[in-house]
Amino acid sequence: MFSYKKRLQYPINIKKKDLRLAKYLVTQYGGSNGELAAALRYLNQRYTMPDNRGKALLTDIGTEELSHIEMISTMIYQLMKGATLDELKEAGLDTHYAEHNKALFPTDANGVPFSVAYFATTGDPLADISEDMAAEQKARAVYENLIDLTDDPDVIGPLLWLRQREIVHFNRFKELFEYYEKMLKNGKLKNNNNMNNMDNSIIEGFMMNNNFMNNM
Amino acid sequence: MYNYYLNNNLYRSNSDFYRNDMPKLFSPEVGYDNGNMFSNLYDPYKNYKPENLKPKNDRERLLLDLSRASFAAHELKLYLDLNPNDNSMLTLFNDYRNKMNELTNEYESKYGVLNSNSNNLNQTPFNWEEGIWPWEAKFNV
Repeated sequence: MFSYKKRLQYPINIKKKDLRLAKYLVTQYGGSNGELAAALRYLNQRYTMPDNRGKALLTDIGTEELSHIEMISTMIYQLMKGATLDELKEAGLDTHYAEHNKALFPTDANGVPFSVAYFATTGDPLADISEDMAAEQKARAVYENLIDLTDDPDVIGPLLWLRQREIVHFNRFKELFEYYEKMLKNGKLKNNNNMNNMDNSIIEGFMMNNNFMNNM
Repeated sequence: MYNYYLNNNLYRSNSDFYRNDMPKLFSPEVGYDNGNMFSNLYDPYKNYKPENLKPKNDRERLLLDLSRASFAAHELKLYLDLNPNDNSMLTLFNDYRNKMNELTNEYESKYGVLNSNSNNLNQTPFNWEEGIWPWEAKFNV
């Protein structure tokens, strides 16, 4: 279960309204490389991780992504606050207004609604974790594009911070990938979709094997 | 199954000992500003410098301090997920976690409830809905 904390993971305090920027930033909410896709990707993949390391890491990073959705949503909300209809039209957000007024809605920067087709679950840990590594790199690249598109320090600060989280998560997923890859090479992890071959008993047997530390 | 990972002798496993990417930690203050507690993983973008958060009053100072402790604990948790034998990191994790809980309690008693399961949820009108919600600009430092 999840439990709400009534604060942001990192503070957002944007003083200047900027509708163009809101239109770009929304892609990190509802775009293919955004935080919503990240959270759903990890929180769906975690069930079929072969051992507790993968289950723990995907749960914890997936949960953090929920906090990043809240940060990006907060940025969009604050950037759009107090906008007039004329300003919305000028920024190309009249189409957003037609359906959502000034409410939040997960789309990409072109207004295409969020889709779960943006992520995959295969039941294969190496395939799933490679996707997670790629997702973190793509999100990092998009944050850099967004930083290039603004000169507002109130926006750049949180974007730099979120970009750095992508780097940490990428490295953690890479470590998990390498750990499972070594187990697979040693024949200790069956890389198929049969759950019977991937339950904890195999890993436990492996952990008790004297060669474990040398192999790692 | 975590019984097999337990290492109570304060030595690192071979795999950890020979790693050349040994973790190096920032302080919680610097780590929070950077968005990354691990200096060996920190990678800046162009010439941009991280925001230097400056609290303007006691409420903002408390919020910033508890956010720093919370972030440091979270970063160490991700690390411990993958390095469950690391006793020194586990100790540090619990130091930051305890600090976060203390500061959260202090903040809640002065400025309003943060946690949905807080001991401070004992006032009418129901104080969960009181105060400024975090997506409003004036909540944040």
